[in-house]
Amino acid sequence: MRFISFVLLVIFFFTFFGCKDTHEVSDSNQEELKLIETYISIATNKSIDDKERIINADNAFYWLDKKENDIPKRKKLTTISKIYYELEDSLRFFRTTNYTIELANSISDSLGAAFNYNRLAIYYERKNRLDSAYSNYFKAEKIYSKLNDKDPYNHGKALLGLSVIRRQVKDYTNSISTTVNAIKKFELDGNAHNYLSICYSNMGIVSNNLEEYNKAIEYHFKSLEHAEKLKNKDLREILAYNNIGIVYKNQKKYDKAIEYYNKALSYKEYLKNNPKRYALLLDNLAYTRFLSGEDRGIYDVFINALRIRDSIDDKSGISINTLHLAEYFQAVGEDSIARLYANRAKEVSSAIKYNPNLLRSFQILSEVSDKETGLRYAQEYIKLNDSLVKKERLFRDKFARIQFETDEIAQQNVQISRENEILIIAILGLTALFLLGYIIFRQQQSNKELLFAQTQQEADAEIQGLLKNQLVKLEEGRQLEQKRMSEELHDGVLGRLFGVRLSLDGINQRANDGFTEARNKYIEELKSIEKEIRLISHDLSTETLPSEVAYIDAIEELVGDLCGLNEIKYEFNNDEHIDWEEVTDQKKVNFYRILQESLQNIFKHANAENVKISFDYVEDKINLTILDDGIGFKSNKVKRGIGLKNITSRVSQMSGVVQFLSNNNAGTKVSVSVPV
Amino acid sequence: MKKKLKVLMIDDHPMIIEGYKNTLLGENQKEYQIKIDIASNCDDAYDRILKSSESVPYDMLFIDIKLPPSSDGSITSGEDLAKHAKELLPKSKIIILTMHREDHRIHNILKNINPTGFLIKSDLTSSELLLAFNNIVKGKAYYSATVNDHFRKMMTNKFSLDEKNLKILYHLSRGVKTKNLPNYVSLSLSAIEKRKNQIKEMFSIAKADDQKLLEEARKRGFI
Repeated sequence: MRFISFVLLVIFFFTFFGCKDTHEVSDSNQEELKLIETYISIATNKSIDDKERIINADNAFYWLDKKENDIPKRKKLTTISKIYYELEDSLRFFRTTNYTIELANSISDSLGAAFNYNRLAIYYERKNRLDSAYSNYFKAEKIYSKLNDKDPYNHGKALLGLSVIRRQVKDYTNSISTTVNAIKKFELDGNAHNYLSICYSNMGIVSNNLEEYNKAIEYHFKSLEHAEKLKNKDLREILAYNNIGIVYKNQKKYDKAIEYYNKALSYKEYLKNNPKRYALLLDNLAYTRFLSGEDRGIYDVFINALRIRDSIDDKSGISINTLHLAEYFQAVGEDSIARLYANRAKEVSSAIKYNPNLLRSFQILSEVSDKETGLRYAQEYIKLNDSLVKKERLFRDKFARIQFETDEIAQQNVQISRENEILIIAILGLTALFLLGYIIFRQQQSNKELLFAQTQQEADAEIQGLLKNQLVKLEEGRQLEQKRMSEELHDGVLGRLFGVRLSLDGINQRANDGFTEARNKYIEELKSIEKEIRLISHDLSTETLPSEVAYIDAIEELVGDLCGLNEIKYEFNNDEHIDWEEVTDQKKVNFYRILQESLQNIFKHANAENVKISFDYVEDKINLTILDDGIGFKSNKVKRGIGLKNITSRVSQMSGVVQFLSNNNAGTKVSVSVPV
Repeated sequence: MKKKLKVLMIDDHPMIIEGYKNTLLGENQKEYQIKIDIASNCDDAYDRILKSSESVPYDMLFIDIKLPPSSDGSITSGEDLAKHAKELLPKSKIIILTMHREDHRIHNILKNINPTGFLIKSDLTSSELLLAFNNIVKGKAYYSATVNDHFRKMMTNKFSLDEKNLKILYHLSRGVKTKNLPNYVSLSLSAIEKRKNQIKEMFSIAKADDQKLLEEARKRGFI
């Protein structure tokens, strides 16, 4: 077996590490699960050596321990704990079961926890540690009642466990009420005939102990009814008949008792394989026959039963069997033999700590011994009896305490959870309040900021409006003034000049002093002055804002006119990418004036022959370049005249940049760059 | 015996009147005995015209276009005055003397007044004035070179543009936006648009933009 698990392990490691590179993690997970399944199936195999089973269960537990806490994991752990339980390895059983309960509790899987409390309780019960068994059953029952019949079958098992323990400590009334509850649960399940049969037999036994024999028989028949519905009904039926026999025996209806014992004994096939039960029935039958006053062949039956029990080392059976034999020999007057059997009964009973039989053995011993020893045994009897009564009371007290403590813990839990609730509500409330306060605070703050920004904006807009108004007024005033000047020049100055010229001309025509030609020349000059003035006047009146459509035309016209007038060749370029309609009027006017000013400078000072003017569009900026091939000026020496100052102020008004580049005899370059 | 002529000179600049006098009363002027009356504003001029219409009418009126308007505001320019004069003094010869040389102005004056003489002051010399005077006295019309130029340009067009259309073109050429034109020409915006399209069709440049329109108008002498 060791070899098999070793091979398995090796295979597992090969597949696991072999796959690791190419497969997903879930694949390795699958492999592990398969491995666990294999270990468990080997461990559950009853035909395998116990040690080997435990090793496999250990391996399964080792791998399961790494898995995530889910229902399949806990189910597998339960199976493993069951294996340990079967193998009576208490240490491993406790460890596994408690671990499973811990896991179940950690994720509030109360059903799983309750199931394992039941399992622990059964184990304790079998070890005769009634208080521990009781407390575990009690925990399980509490959980199941909270879960409202989610698992009535196991709830019933917990209740039944409680009621049996109560019966054992002679707490009969509580035992009955608990059994009734258990029966209700099992009936809810609908299929739990085995347990219903057990329940009714428990009821029957309790009633028997309370000497309510008719009721007891009724219950045992009910137990029988349910047993009949079972597949493997033999054991339950045998036990039922046996129990009925016991009740009848207690009623002293020996014939009836014998009849039912024989009924039980008729299950020969079953009894052949269960010598323990067979011996029990034989013993009971013999004892009843003995009580009924029969004598013949009874000893043989007793001895037969005792032999069987000896052969299978059925200690509790030996205990009662030897008692019966002691009683029998006492009845037939063979005190020494009776003493022998009673002594054996005493030893065995105390070995298995079965006090009722021990008590009885003391009783018989006190009766069959000589006076002195008899008195000692009688004293022992009384002492044991007292202690038993005390112990039973103690047990009942303990159970009551368990109940009380659990209730108290539950109550405390309720209180704590209520306190926790209050605390949580308080914390939540405070947090919400704080958040609310914070939000309101932020809101107000941002409102304030917004308000501030708004007023700022309003103020800005107001200033801008004022500036704009001012600009508009300035522009209006300027234009009005221009118009007035234009008209003044045209109508006043020009008219008078014309009159003067005409008069001079008229006089000149009449004069005959030989200077007519000379005067004519000046008259011509006057005429050209008139022309110039008229041009200026015209310019003044038309220098209103050029329209969008004709803006670049107007610019070109300006350049053309001025250059034509000053006899300079010019080149004009306009970048098509400039969308002049998008450019503000202010900027257009500024460009116009800058150009005008620059050209004026060139005509006045530069002595240039060629001018190159271009508008370019570069990175959202309009660049105006005016280039001439004149004499230039020393950039840093020339005092900045009004013209340059004007240009600079206009450019800065548009938040642009201007550069004047010039060298002696190398022309001048004016670069203006203005963001659109 | 010198022929007597009665002339009214209307101009707000005494210097100009002086110039006219100097020219007309010079020694080279021997055929006529000219009596010159002077008016420097519309009120004055109108009074004189009215009076002469009741007695001896003027033979000739020298009218400047730009004049201080009459006090009641009914007469605002030489143009208005000329209209009155034509009614009151149908036989008088009207000579318009003006500083304005814009085509539409010339056009309007020709159309509304149809003066016998039309002289542009900036072109004018005393010999030309004398020439004009002599022509007009003899019953011939006389126009300055600029005016004749205008005539010539108009003649080359198979069609003529009315005053409003000319005004539209004029203002457009000065950079006025179409949407602002109603402020300058007493027409609605839609009417102006309509006229613009008509002009474009006449120029056979339908669907062209304003720039093209102005170019064409310049070429054809409407601006």
